[in-house]
Amino acid sequence: MEKIYLAIAFTPLVGAIIAGFWGARIGRAGAHWVTSVGVGISAFLSIIVLLGFISGHREVFNGSVYTWMISDGITFEVGFLVDSLTAMMMAVVTFVSFCVHIYTIGYMAHDEENWPAGSRAGTNSYQRFFSYISLFTFSMLLLVMSNNFMQLFFGWEAVGLVSYLLIGFWSNRETAIFANMKAFLVNRVGDFGFLLGIAAVAMYFNTVDYAEVFAKAPELANTQIQIWGDTSWSLMTVICILLFVGAMGKSAQVPLHVWLPDSMEGPTPISALIHAATMVTAGIFMVARMSPLYELSETALSFILIIGATTAFFTGLIGLVQNDIKRVVAYSTLSQLGYMTVALGASAYAAGIFHLMTHAFFKALLFLAAGSVIIAMHHEQDMRKMGGLKKYMPITYWTSLIGSLALIGLPGFSGFFSKDSIIEAVHHSQIAGAGYAYLMVILGVFVTALYSFRMFFMVFHGEERMDEHTKHHLHESPKVVTVPLIMLAIPSVLIGGMTISGVVFGDWFKDVIHVAPAHDVLKEIGFHGTIGFFFHGLFALPTLLAAAGVGVAYMIYMKNPEIADKIKSAASPLYALLDKKYFFDELYQAVFAGGSRWLGKILWKAGDQTLIDGLVVNGSARSVGFFAGIIRQIQTGYLYHYAFAMILGLLLLLALFVN
Amino acid sequence: MQFEASNLIPVVPELFILSLACLVLVIDLFIDDEQRIFTYALTQVGLVFAIFITLSVGQTEAQIVFDGSYIRDGMSDVLKVSIYIVTIGAFLYSKEYLVEHGLFKGEYYVLGLFAVLGMMVMVSAQSFLTAYLGLELLSLSLYALVAFDRDSKTGSEAAMKYFVLGAIASGMLLYGISMIYGATGALNFTTVTTALMGTGMEDIVLVFGLVFVVIGLAFKLGAVPFHMWMPDVYHGAPTAVAQFLSSAPKIAAFALAMRLLVDGMLPLHSDWQQMLVILAILSMALGNVIAIAQTNIKRMLAYSTISHVGFIMMGILAGTSEGYSASMFYAIIYAVTSLGAFGIIILLSKKGFEAENLDDYKGLHERSPWFAAMMMLFMFSMAGVPPTVGFWAKLFVLDAVVSVELTWVALVGVFFSIIGAFYYIRIIKLMYFDKAENVLPVIGNLDTRIALSVNGVLMLALGLFPAALLTICVRAIGS
Amino acid sequence: MTFEKILFYVFSVILVLSATMVITRRDPVHSALFLVLAFFTSAILWMLLEAEFLAIVLVLVYVGAVMVLFLFVVMMLDTDKAAMRAGFVKMMPVGLIVAGTMAFEMFLIVGPQYFGLDKFAMPAPHPADYSNTEELGRVLYTVYMYPVEIAAVILLVGIIAAIGLTMRKRPDNKSLDPSEQVKVTKGTDRIRVVKMASEIKQEAK
Repeated sequence: MEKIYLAIAFTPLVGAIIAGFWGARIGRAGAHWVTSVGVGISAFLSIIVLLGFISGHREVFNGSVYTWMISDGITFEVGFLVDSLTAMMMAVVTFVSFCVHIYTIGYMAHDEENWPAGSRAGTNSYQRFFSYISLFTFSMLLLVMSNNFMQLFFGWEAVGLVSYLLIGFWSNRETAIFANMKAFLVNRVGDFGFLLGIAAVAMYFNTVDYAEVFAKAPELANTQIQIWGDTSWSLMTVICILLFVGAMGKSAQVPLHVWLPDSMEGPTPISALIHAATMVTAGIFMVARMSPLYELSETALSFILIIGATTAFFTGLIGLVQNDIKRVVAYSTLSQLGYMTVALGASAYAAGIFHLMTHAFFKALLFLAAGSVIIAMHHEQDMRKMGGLKKYMPITYWTSLIGSLALIGLPGFSGFFSKDSIIEAVHHSQIAGAGYAYLMVILGVFVTALYSFRMFFMVFHGEERMDEHTKHHLHESPKVVTVPLIMLAIPSVLIGGMTISGVVFGDWFKDVIHVAPAHDVLKEIGFHGTIGFFFHGLFALPTLLAAAGVGVAYMIYMKNPEIADKIKSAASPLYALLDKKYFFDELYQAVFAGGSRWLGKILWKAGDQTLIDGLVVNGSARSVGFFAGIIRQIQTGYLYHYAFAMILGLLLLLALFVN
Repeated sequence: MQFEASNLIPVVPELFILSLACLVLVIDLFIDDEQRIFTYALTQVGLVFAIFITLSVGQTEAQIVFDGSYIRDGMSDVLKVSIYIVTIGAFLYSKEYLVEHGLFKGEYYVLGLFAVLGMMVMVSAQSFLTAYLGLELLSLSLYALVAFDRDSKTGSEAAMKYFVLGAIASGMLLYGISMIYGATGALNFTTVTTALMGTGMEDIVLVFGLVFVVIGLAFKLGAVPFHMWMPDVYHGAPTAVAQFLSSAPKIAAFALAMRLLVDGMLPLHSDWQQMLVILAILSMALGNVIAIAQTNIKRMLAYSTISHVGFIMMGILAGTSEGYSASMFYAIIYAVTSLGAFGIIILLSKKGFEAENLDDYKGLHERSPWFAAMMMLFMFSMAGVPPTVGFWAKLFVLDAVVSVELTWVALVGVFFSIIGAFYYIRIIKLMYFDKAENVLPVIGNLDTRIALSVNGVLMLALGLFPAALLTICVRAIGS
Repeated sequence: MTFEKILFYVFSVILVLSATMVITRRDPVHSALFLVLAFFTSAILWMLLEAEFLAIVLVLVYVGAVMVLFLFVVMMLDTDKAAMRAGFVKMMPVGLIVAGTMAFEMFLIVGPQYFGLDKFAMPAPHPADYSNTEELGRVLYTVYMYPVEIAAVILLVGIIAAIGLTMRKRPDNKSLDPSEQVKVTKGTDRIRVVKMASEIKQEAK
């Protein structure tokens, strides 16, 4: 039974190793074949597993594969926990990854043009890219398939590492280096919290195995601990919030969201794979997996709810003023991640995961479509220089339209079902902050529609603003690009309606996700079949707001483009605030980056140069060297000296012990 | 006692190695110099067979035969197999070296096999007499191997020193054993242990004997101040012999310490623990500090061995099964690492040129990036840098010592390991950051290259997955 | 004091004295001869312990074989006696202190306090037909079979090591190889035909 899981997790690793170490030898075609086939096998097997769970004949698997070590009674293992939640994540991750692999063959085909001639990092960059994305798939699979906190942390860090490598993939670009450094550092803040959370689990539960922790959690639900002073804290709240800090970093929640837009410096395929569909959802997945813990702390849930709601609305607003096509999509990702987080906070884990799945498809679709546009525009990403692309790129146009409609939640599309169930869930939630969250997500719907269709109209309709040369070369992207678009467009439309009854309101997550009866908002919604849900949502507030958003976008960007400028000048402080992304970057740059540089400099001068280098390192090295020089004189080379030393040793021992 | 053939089954590995040695000796007489490769192949194949034989006679329960002079238990099985493997590795590395230096003779393998037999006897010793005889068999073979290059003056000198000092140490060991015999009236471990329990620990004659036994052991292990032979012997002996000397016999020395102290004289634990504390600290201190001042890499590795011996003793002195298994892990890992480090010297040495000065390693990275990386792994493993396996070896030993409330000993060990890291990392610095004086590419024989690559990767693989080997060690000690 | 005791003390004194002579004599031949004496006296001490077989073996092997060989070597080697004794006086005080301390420590332990006659019961005397040799043989080939076998292997290794280290073909070796000798052929190897004029002309004066 576990063989299939081993195969799923490790075939991408094999591909990554082959393409990474022997990339030069197997060539470009070899690299993309070996990695794509590896991930393809993994995707195929994942879907078999998923189908097994759907049909109900596959049992939950929870077992260890290898015991890494046992330390002080805590066993550290490599193990798999495969249940319906994992199976779903595995299928999403491998399927999107597979599409991205194929797409990359087209997107990176002329990668050598992105490097200066003769640069060393530029040789075999194509193979290296494939190795990275396969490695990413492996790491993500380990993360979701883990049955313990240690492996979770390994996967967590591994995806962070690959993300770092890929954001800075074009390492000759200053901005890419800056962006990957930023992503890495911001994630460090989150991971620090995450690690503390795991440490707290290990300390109080004395195990890192999920099943044991969950079994023991109710006993410790009312434990109070003292961290400093006399203030006592609820253990569960501390653990849950610390773990969620990790999720905030990885899933880019305010205020740790600043890295995600910048990560668009990486090649588009990874923006689709990592920064839209999979890695950023790791935090969401983690919280859903830990639901037995989170259900024990209402404080932590409120905290999650408020953070998520803030992210959902305010980052959406920033999306309105962006001109870079990928950044608009990036901000929309942030906003959608906020929606998922809100669902978690409202204890509607199933809805959050459901949105995660639908979002993975349509967001990957939107990114890949944006990438397709970027290829056609010769790596121009500014929407102000596009327009009227509809007639040149019909497939990209139609698939983008599907993606955008799914994103804004047009009834019938998958985004509609997932987003509406979240909104309904928040509406029914009773915990602190639910009212605020409801307002935010409802307003968020309007904003989402507005920025999505602003982008859509600016890119595909209106006048053609590109220069003559680009215009002359405009054409639809090759098959390797368009086929993944179509492959992703189909689930973007269908998957929501097909699965909502089972996943959100059915038994799919029974025994996997634990919801306390008092929090069970999904039950309160009163679900009467998919059709009923559809018609209920058809004339509800969110749909109307979405329609209004599209309408406003149409008015401003199609009918009267000058309105946009008027609004911009009328509300210039607001515009400046949004354009500068609420000054988060400036603040962090000045306070944290500047501060730590200042501190570092002081420590370097006072601590390192004088104390450590001068006194400790060089001083002790000199004295040790001095003594060594003296003591080595003992070794004279004379036999009788050696024998004499032995006799002296004998005398010493006799004198010490025989008396 | 009636003779039963089934009593011979546990001894089959010893009988096999003995017959193999005699077979090689006789066959070698009848073949020409050009066909010497056959002797070599026969030896290697025989050793591989020995692995299977040892594994197949192995059982979970310990068996004691020959009126309590021989034991076969989990520890003996594991250690014997590791001795075969390390010896196979040493022979693989040394073939090319021997051919180039005109030492490719049958006696080398015959003496090597007898040394293996001696180690096996030590590993399986269940009485003081067998332990001593095994030790002598091993030592005699090693003396001859050190002097194997008859045209080398340093080799003969080293062999002479080794022989004389070894004889003194053997004398002391025998004297100690005779004291214990005098006090308990027995030679086999079970009887001695029972007798010791009865007399109590204040019996001064026993402690007196124990001091001599510990000294004999300390000499074999190479602990300060009984270490003086090691630098000279490592330096003087042909590199291939030094490699063998520094690897498998350390495993056997560990076994000897386990048999004599733990199996034989556990009731005297509090006494030998203190003796080993002194010897271990002296070894770690002196070994690490003097190694820094060395310019010859073979001498440097000799001092490094001395410091590692300190760690091996640290695990034993803990006196818990956790400590014993940590020590066993350490000894095996040390043997394998040392094999690799000497392997690099062999790889770089050519006819008439021994790559034994530190300067010969300058810029190795430019000459051969792969083998420089392997050497880096060996050095990191010796220094105890994660993720190499040396880190785990040190960690387990330290953990065992800390858990018996000897934290200060562990701290001293860590302190000197930090000092020791300097000279290991200096080699890495020479290889990667200094300009090569000799720009010739590295050409090695295929088997040396394969052995080195496997050995180097093993450092990393075991470092990432230490549990398998550790479990084997824990089980071996537990049985 | 019984006769046996007197014998014991006499021979013990001789043993200690001759052992001292071994390490203090200038001439190695004298040292070797004193060593022979030491072996003899210790053989007698063993005899007093009723270990007749061992005593005889000691005389036969050590005195008869080992020491004779040793004397040969010592006499044939041209040793530099002055160099061997260099530093003797300088090292003497330190050596004496260390040796003295050692002897003192050992006396404390091995002395009568722990190994005195009152500590050990008198072993039962053996009957007259008791064969020491037989008993030894019985034990060696049953209980101590394994160690005996190992000792045999050690001797084998000693032989191999000694031959391996010393046997070699030296270019200046003048010994003859019979197998090479009988291979000679009749014609060219044994007879050398020298051509010369049949008659030497007398120079006319």
